[in-house]
Amino acid sequence: LCLCFIVVEKGSPSSKNQKCKGKERGPPGKWTNKERVLIFSSRGINFRTRHLMQDLRTMMPHAKADTKMDRKDKLFVINEVCEIKNCNKCLYFEAKKKQDLYMWISNSPHGPSAKFLVQNIHTLAELKLTGNCLKGSRPLLSFDPKFDKEPHYALLKELFIQTFSTPRYHPKSQPFVDHVFTFTIADNRIWFRNYQIIEEDGSLVEIGPRFVLNLMKIFQGSFGGPTLYENPDFRSPNMHRREMRLAAAAKVREKQMVKEMQKGKKTSAKEDLESDVTADVFLTPAEEKPADIQTEAPEPKVVKKKQKAFKRQRMQMARR
Amino acid sequence: SLQEAFAAGLLKPGMNVLVDKPKKLVNNVEGLKQCLADFRKDLPWVERLDLTNLPAANIISQAEEKASAPAAGELDADDDFQREMFFYRQAQATILEAMPLLNRHSIATKRPEDYFAEMAKSDQHMQKIRKKLISKQMIMERSEKAKKLREQRKFGKKVQIEVIQKRQQEKKAMMSAVKKYQKGMTDKLEFLEGDQKMNKESSQGSKKAVNKKGPSAKRKYKDQKFGFGGKKSGKKWNTKESYNDVSGFRAKIAHGKGGKKGKGGKQNKRPGKSVRKKMKNRS
Repeated sequence: LCLCFIVVEKGSPSSKNQKCKGKERGPPGKWTNKERVLIFSSRGINFRTRHLMQDLRTMMPHAKADTKMDRKDKLFVINEVCEIKNCNKCLYFEAKKKQDLYMWISNSPHGPSAKFLVQNIHTLAELKLTGNCLKGSRPLLSFDPKFDKEPHYALLKELFIQTFSTPRYHPKSQPFVDHVFTFTIADNRIWFRNYQIIEEDGSLVEIGPRFVLNLMKIFQGSFGGPTLYENPDFRSPNMHRREMRLAAAAKVREKQMVKEMQKGKKTSAKEDLESDVTADVFLTPAEEKPADIQTEAPEPKVVKKKQKAFKRQRMQMARR
Repeated sequence: SLQEAFAAGLLKPGMNVLVDKPKKLVNNVEGLKQCLADFRKDLPWVERLDLTNLPAANIISQAEEKASAPAAGELDADDDFQREMFFYRQAQATILEAMPLLNRHSIATKRPEDYFAEMAKSDQHMQKIRKKLISKQMIMERSEKAKKLREQRKFGKKVQIEVIQKRQQEKKAMMSAVKKYQKGMTDKLEFLEGDQKMNKESSQGSKKAVNKKGPSAKRKYKDQKFGFGGKKSGKKWNTKESYNDVSGFRAKIAHGKGGKKGKGGKQNKRPGKSVRKKMKNRS
């Protein structure tokens, strides 16, 4: 492992005030928490995934990159790759059908691993994410209280903490804490956001990247081993697409059926009714009145015609 | 497998439908807990910097007194704004809690002014972002201006229409009154005078009010300086009056008497060439 530092006297406060561009060694202290994360992917990823990986490597100075792995190899090969690179955590991105992205997060030699479906990816390069932070600064991690309520979430929380938190005094890290990772559970998914801390009273701007993790399974071993947990609400993207297609097809079939029924109704011969069912509706029971026949014509009415004066005269009269 | 069961005589008469066994989903709680216990690293907080908290109080919804649905936390993932605000507030609560802790462990959060280091996003990228924000703002301003202009025009149009209508109504009333008189329905001529009286009084009244102040001081000055605008031709002729007007005649100046301002100009008189040379040679 070769690290490059700018040689700085131990314990000198002026180290922070030097104008220097590039990586600076953190304040004097020993780097004890030896966490290293290997971030790499399979073949067949698209540009968004590639950028997401690069962004994660930027955000985590304790991360290492590796070449793309062929999907034909079995997954436990990854454990060997990790050992070669001397990493004890791994983030592996797997792309299937050039559409779906799965993410494996695992603790390399023996520990647990989890597989997620990744959705709603937004990378650092999006212009709407306006925040910025020091490259390699340590993040605060913020978790939803729901992580403590269920055992599988608790395990995931521990995994996230160990993977995403930058070790103190890491040579590539900056000594300041200026951004926050938030992990929240909503709609049975884990939402990840990265905010820049502007003011100490809590005004934040989003830096990115952001994504949503949909848990599939948790395994006891790294990339294998017995299944510890399966997410009951998870529907694979294939099934999801299939359901959409079936729904659309069902709609079309229903419409056709209705059309045919209507056609049949029109063309089929209608039966003739013998008796009118509604004939009794208008029979009103009433007394019979004797028929009154008038023999003489009635007298003509006398109509009195009112004499109206002309308008002008009426107005003159009105004025008077 | 159905056929085998039939052969063994296990099937009852009637329909035997193959039912899938309901999928048993693994939830090995014990296993999970065991795994967690094995795998957990008990690092001091300083190494992990993690916090678990509920979002901070939503000031905006409290101010508007909205009954916020996620009271206990059933967050609707589809309502984008609500969801993002929830995340934002969660991060805020974390910061508020973490600040004192960080200060206690003497971890800095504020970067000093002269500390330059590589940022996650390049300066070029930030420039792009800034430009985009500015352009968005400009577009909004422009649309606001256009809206206001449209409103104003509409309003002006309304006022114009009202005035025209009023005039038409007055005219109509007048004509009908005149016609009535002509036809002999009314023999009073009050309508004519009524209008005129009112008009005269109102116009004179208003004119009087205006004329009190007369032309403003600026106008007066300009008139005085540049003469009266308009009919300049004819104002400064050599008429008999102007020729005979000798008010601008000063005898002393005309005959060259009186000196230059009564010997006040001697102060500025320049000495002659020889005197000046002497002065120069002396200094």
